Parts: sequence; structure tokens; C-alpha cells
Amino acid sequence: MFDENSENEVSGAATDAGRRALMLGAVGASAVLTVRPALAQSAVSVLNCQIPVPDPARAGQYIAADGTVVAPGTVGAFVPAPRPFTGQEVKQALSGLNLPGTSYTQNQAYLNYIRRLQYGQSGFTCFASLQMPGR
Amino acid sequence: MGASTYAASLPFKSVALDGLSAIYHGASGATHVVAEPVPQILEALGGDTLTLAELLARLGADYDLDDDAEAGLSARLDELVALGLVIAR
Repeated sequence: MFDENSENEVSGAATDAGRRALMLGAVGASAVLTVRPALAQSAVSVLNCQIPVPDPARAGQYIAADGTVVAPGTVGAFVPAPRPFTGQEVKQALSGLNLPGTSYTQNQAYLNYIRRLQYGQSGFTCFASLQMPGR
Repeated sequence: MGASTYAASLPFKSVALDGLSAIYHGASGATHVVAEPVPQILEALGGDTLTLAELLARLGADYDLDDDAEAGLSARLDELVALGLVIAR
């Protein structure tokens, strides 16, 4: 048979013993070690990094609704963004806000372009950084 | 010194590590490995803004404090303010 009361008695005794001395004036640094990871800085830089739409190699070309880069003047496509977007702007756009200065459909086209970015294209590293957890 | 109230700089996450505590401070991204009485001070502050006397009273309710507790606590708070874990106002 189990003694169901024994556990309660033990925890009751532990509560009394829980009141203990706290040495506030103890000599010696209370902070033993501080780790400042490079990650702390990169979290800032990620939000300030830039994503040109389109990348400079294809400057002047238009962005179609599906995010592909098309010839200037293509019907239904959007003019290039006048300036690169920051990581912060893209992060907000991914969560529902429009990119600055864009209409709803223009915003969708630009975001589709950004989602299609691949390694080596300008802005890819910035966009990839935004996907990391905690950003 | 000279500050009238103290508050913990939120958010932070504290993990007990075999006698020490690792405290991840969200605002700075820094992790501090600290010894007693730092985790106890931060826990006593909680989300409140307290005077030195109020904080001392809270700690005194949970722990037996040493004779020179007020001066000790003041010194620890200064260290925590320097670290950024506590905000003095």
C-alpha cells in the first residue's frame, strides 16, 4: 500500500526550509559573465538591409503580378520600385502591411518578386534573414 | 545612486543552471550568467516599479537578509542598472 500522506508532509517541510538567507552584500561580482552574441547586432542590420525591386542587374524592367521580371511597358506589370525597400518594410509587408508607396496589387507583385529571389540576387540575403525565427 | 525607483527591464528569460542563472535580456540580446542574489532581485521586482525600501521589504518577506542588506541591495541594483537588466528612474 502507498502512504498518500507522506508526500504532502515532505513538501510542507520543504516550504519551511525554503526561507533561507540571501546574501545581498556578498563580496564578488553578481554578474559572472555576459555573452553578447553577434546575433544581437545582426537583428538590427537585418531590419536595415535593403531589397531592390528589381535587382540592379535588371534595373528599369517591370514587375508582373506573379513577381516575374518583364520588359518595360508590359501591360499589367508594374514599374520598378523607385527605391530599395528595407528589411523592416518587407517584414511588415509580409505580415499584411503594404510596401511604402504601393497600391494593393503593386504590393502583391513586388512581394511575389521578393519571394522569388534566389541566392546571388541582390536582396536575397536580406530576405532570407527575415525568414529566420525571432526576426 | 540617487534613483528613487527601480524596475526590471522586460522582457527577460531566466534559466537556472546548477547554482547560477542564465538570463537572456530581450532588449539588448545579451545573455548574462549571474549568481545569487541577482535572480532573486529580478524575481522580487517582477513587473513592478519599486523603491529600494519596497524591494527590500519584498525580499525580506521571502528570505533572511544579512545585516547590511540595504547597502548591499543598493550596490547590486547599481550593477544591474549598469548591465541594463534594471531601469532606475
